[in-house]
Amino acid sequence: MHLLPWLTAAWLFAVGVYGIITSRHYIHLIGCLTVCQSATYLLLLSIGYSWNAGPPIFYDHPPGTAAVDPVMQALVLTDIVVGAAVTALLLVIALQVHKRRGTLDPQALRPLRPDQ
Amino acid sequence: MTIPWRCGLFALSLIVLAPAVWHVIVALPAFGNPTEQYGAAVNLLLPGARHVTNMVAAVNFDVRGFDTLGEECMLVCAVTGTVVLLRGTRGENMSEGAGRLPGRAIVGRSDATVLVCRAAATLTLLFGVYMALHGMLTPGGGFQGGAIAGSSLMLLYLGEGYEAWRRIVRGRMLGALEGGGAFLFVAAAAVPLLLGHSSLENILPYGAPKDLFSGGLTVIVNFAVGLSVAGSFGLLLLEFMEETRSAASDSMPGEED
Repeated sequence: MHLLPWLTAAWLFAVGVYGIITSRHYIHLIGCLTVCQSATYLLLLSIGYSWNAGPPIFYDHPPGTAAVDPVMQALVLTDIVVGAAVTALLLVIALQVHKRRGTLDPQALRPLRPDQ
Repeated sequence: MTIPWRCGLFALSLIVLAPAVWHVIVALPAFGNPTEQYGAAVNLLLPGARHVTNMVAAVNFDVRGFDTLGEECMLVCAVTGTVVLLRGTRGENMSEGAGRLPGRAIVGRSDATVLVCRAAATLTLLFGVYMALHGMLTPGGGFQGGAIAGSSLMLLYLGEGYEAWRRIVRGRMLGALEGGGAFLFVAAAAVPLLLGHSSLENILPYGAPKDLFSGGLTVIVNFAVGLSVAGSFGLLLLEFMEETRSAASDSMPGEED
């Protein structure tokens, strides 16, 4: 049994969640969210990995050679690019909050009222 | 909500979710021995069926092309939301000048920086285009190539300064790249529908294996994604730059950097 990949993914996710729970700053929180996200990359790639198998690219070795699961790699690939764009969106929302309220501390922020 | 409260809430949700999480953990396959048949079937059948050699790109742009269309829409939505939120305060007006704090000295960049950045930006852009074009053959594809080409714009800014960068890189062009790429993807999904096939069905000739333009419709979809991702990353960069400028809106015009 090889548990190291699973344990690493769980550890990364736990570290990210711990950061989110104890966060005192929204930028820090978004960083922690990306750490959680990288745990999912590791988990997906580990699920697709296969011993003694090459990359799922049959340019210089013939089709039929043992290769790892391409579906997981495709999932991770789109995840990374879309994740980067979504992180940009979150950062902009944090920027707008800071402009309106002057703080990014989740504890100092209160719901918006009509007079503000 | 204070941190002890958050920890309490987390502990509570952990207790509720733990049985489900444990159920998934014990069902995971052993590492290195995947039990999933889908990927194995793709590896076995697609090189012959579609004449492409990169299975990851084949999954993205052919067999699961419809999912990628959803991802593409997410990308466009996220970038549109970012741009709308950033422009919310300052509207459509952009200035070509750089923002600066009054009273801060302007330090010119050294010739070495300019030289290295020019060389690196060109090479990075070329590498991105290569990566996107060879997506169906070797590791790479529209997503990676677009991201690399988009980052070459950052190097261009580093070497040339804000004003020169804005003269070279036009915001409208980046928007057109992003929207045009997404439109091309939607068109590639819609045209087979209009001809009586399934959406994104590969109706073009597949070409010879290991040829640059083999893969039929996947080549077009790959190209569309490359354009869209490059435009998106460039647009994000541009809008964040504009944001730093508008923070110091009382900057003096006509000064470099």
